[in-house]
Amino acid sequence: MTEWIRFFFVAAFLITGLFGFVTGVIGVYRFGFVMNRMHAGGIGDTFGLFFIILALIIGSGMNMDSLKLFLAVVFMWFTSPASTHFLSQIEYFTNPHLYDHVERKETDGTDSDL
Amino acid sequence: MSVAEAYRILYGGALILFSVLIGAMLIRSVKGPRITDRILSVNMIGTMVICCIAVLSQLLKENYLVDVALIYTMISFLSVLVLACVYIPGKPKRTGFGKSAFSDAGEKEEREK
Repeated sequence: MTEWIRFFFVAAFLITGLFGFVTGVIGVYRFGFVMNRMHAGGIGDTFGLFFIILALIIGSGMNMDSLKLFLAVVFMWFTSPASTHFLSQIEYFTNPHLYDHVERKETDGTDSDL
Repeated sequence: MSVAEAYRILYGGALILFSVLIGAMLIRSVKGPRITDRILSVNMIGTMVICCIAVLSQLLKENYLVDVALIYTMISFLSVLVLACVYIPGKPKRTGFGKSAFSDAGEKEEREK
């Protein structure tokens, strides 16, 4: 009976993580500009990966594999914002029509706040 | 139905859904109008492959696949980093708006010369 309770939790968290990934992929298809798409991709990177790894940790119990899976999640949570930051920098430096999509704040030319 | 069979059906269904999502992101990376769309798609494919490897390690009861998932996490970040080093210029052509750390460093080097 306890095995079935554990299976229920594994299934619930796994389906939650899959829901995060499906949301991310739908968002990547539906949004029109790449900086909106990065937002949708970040949902899969953090939300989806965390819940799927949580389901696998519950399924396998406390052992060395669970620690390694947890380390993968920690590393992904540190590197996903960094990769999103690099992607937005690439977009900023390579897109000549950036301000057709991004609202530009009017400044007096000093750029003190950037 | 035993618990082991239920786990097999659950993990198998998750892998099938992941393969469909990876196919969708592959189509997006081919269609993507700009380079950043393609890099974003490759990044998301990497995340899904990490999840696939982790699920597969539980499905097949193979412990070494967890190590593969951990290394794949680092390599998938490295691919984005290398592409960023290729496409971000040392000194941007755009002037007057949004001076970044890169442009400040470039100007300081020019002043020293």
